[in-house]
Amino acid sequence: MEVNDIISSGLLELYVLGKTTEQETEQVLTWKALHPEVAAELLAIEDSLEQLDFAKAVTPSMDTKKNLFAAIKQTNIADNTRVEQAIVTPINNTIAPVKSINNNYKYVAAASVALLIGSLLFNMITYSKYDKVNDALAAAEQKIATNNEGIAALQQQLDVPLNNNAQAVVLKSTPKAPLNSNATAKIFWIKNTNEVYVEPGGLPEVPKGFQYQLWAIVDGKPVDGGMIIYNKNKKYNIQKMKSFGKAQAFAITLEKEGGSPSPNMEKLYVMSTI
Amino acid sequence: MQITRQTYSEQELVLSLKQKDETAFSYLYDNYAAALNGVIYGMVNDFATSEDILQEAFLKIWNNIDSYDETKGKLYTWMRRITNNLTLDTIKSKQHRQQGKVVDNELAVAHVQGANNINERLNSLDLQKKLDTLDKKQRVILDMSYFQGYTQEEIAKELDMPVGTVKTRIRTAIIELRKILN
Repeated sequence: MEVNDIISSGLLELYVLGKTTEQETEQVLTWKALHPEVAAELLAIEDSLEQLDFAKAVTPSMDTKKNLFAAIKQTNIADNTRVEQAIVTPINNTIAPVKSINNNYKYVAAASVALLIGSLLFNMITYSKYDKVNDALAAAEQKIATNNEGIAALQQQLDVPLNNNAQAVVLKSTPKAPLNSNATAKIFWIKNTNEVYVEPGGLPEVPKGFQYQLWAIVDGKPVDGGMIIYNKNKKYNIQKMKSFGKAQAFAITLEKEGGSPSPNMEKLYVMSTI
Repeated sequence: MQITRQTYSEQELVLSLKQKDETAFSYLYDNYAAALNGVIYGMVNDFATSEDILQEAFLKIWNNIDSYDETKGKLYTWMRRITNNLTLDTIKSKQHRQQGKVVDNELAVAHVQGANNINERLNSLDLQKKLDTLDKKQRVILDMSYFQGYTQEEIAKELDMPVGTVKTRIRTAIIELRKILN
């Protein structure tokens, strides 16, 4: 582009007015650097517009200058504060950032591994506890069930002596009983139902292979009353025996396991007449 | 605030300003505030608004003096550009362009009549006569682009003419203006 064309393009005026695009501005500045005539023309345009402004000048109030300088002092203070902050910040940023990030990362990783291990341990402990508790619970339930059975049995047994129709008969030791055994047994005869119960707790311990057998003496003859289940740990062990229509006496003999059709008179330990 | 007595060459002034010399800034204000205030007033037509923008413009000049590049133009041209843009921003945000013209025209007349700066008033009246000799078309374009801060595209749209024509009209107007001023 010829210098004259540049000058008459109108772009120089627009440039001075600040109305050119970024591209146009670059173009004008290139022309200005290349052509002294363009630079001179630009200066002339600047001067003329400056003159025009001065011709149209409006003097501002004195307060405006006062306010302006007060505002500048404030920004200076703000600037100083900003500078102080700006000095501190980069030092912090340059010294530590990589390390601190790495450390944090390590800590986080270590913490998460620790948490995981902790969690696994906790789970294991909790599970084993749960297992134990479960077992204990099952055992306790079993025990309660057993106890309940025992209680029910005891209750049943207790009902016997508490029965108003029960006649208690104490069978006393005979000379055939072992020496100093102080053998006794009790019979509860429920009169209205003819049920017979025995409480064998006072009998001597049963030798292996033997069993006590109850006999009723009916019209002078011994009648089998059933085998007594002897439990040396359970002294209180009332059990139901066979019923008799009538009986004059009760006796208990030691017989071979399973019982005998007739009593072994040599081993008749306890008896009582009614 | 005392009027600064010291005088500077433009180079000295720029150097002092870049060193944040408040005396230099005071000198700058004393010498250019009225001119720049005239530019703003020409756009907003309100004295209070004009002075508010002027103060803000000088703050910007003070804070951004480091970005002034002497190879791109005169200090005043740079200051004027900052002032012009700031005023346009204010106008756009407050829509002063519509309100200001109507409401403050009377105030403007009163101000010119009561101006205590005789030279300024004489200059204004003298210039007004001289500007009257400009072709009406050129005057409108100069007024819009220069005093009211319209962009060449806005002028083209407003006057319904190609952007190229706006450019040549501005060019002719300024050539005429230069003749008048000389």
